[in-house]
Amino acid sequence: MELDLDESSLAIGRIERALSRIEKSLADRANRPESAAAAVPADQSALKAEVAAVIGELDRLIAEADRG
Amino acid sequence: MADVKLTIAGRPYDLHCEDGQESQLVELAAVVDEKARAMPGGTEVRQLLFAALMLADDAQDAKGKIEKSEPQSDSLRAAVALAESREAAAREELRAAVAREQAAFKELEAARQNAPAASPTANPSNNRALLQIADRIEALAAKVEQLP
Repeated sequence: MELDLDESSLAIGRIERALSRIEKSLADRANRPESAAAAVPADQSALKAEVAAVIGELDRLIAEADRG
Repeated sequence: MADVKLTIAGRPYDLHCEDGQESQLVELAAVVDEKARAMPGGTEVRQLLFAALMLADDAQDAKGKIEKSEPQSDSLRAAVALAESREAAAREELRAAVAREQAAFKELEAARQNAPAASPTANPSNNRALLQIADRIEALAAKVEQLP
């Protein structure tokens, strides 16, 4: 599969929109006091692990971009 | 208003608070800093993200225990208030982490656009990685939206 600049821009746009969705969801939860009820611990651990993995991958990509 | 200097995850911050609340603010900052330092070796954003997640976890655990015991005393109600304030702070940290990641993306995009010679064919593997990350972050967004 060969990708060009337009496709990478589309990927970045998708990432930005997904981050906006996460940000909005967190803001909505913060405005709902009753939502403080805990998520299922196992789900939360998996979510934390996935967040850490994605951020690690982003760090790697950004480091590569910095190196040119 | 009082001026307070804090250091969290190695970065200094100058904040203002109501007179008399300085020590409380310093204590809260120490909690966040302790959590951030529990995840050494990562970027500042990652340290703050983990601090936010651990504080949110602490807050939810504390709230769950308190709700189970049906708090009646003033001290338990105060603990609920503290847990809620910590959870709010943790969510704020998480939102800040998301904002920093967005800023990092903008930097990445700017760097890519400022390097036309390396653009069209330079890093197809990076482009594929971007698409995979987009898939994963979209899945994460769906999970976060479905949290109770």
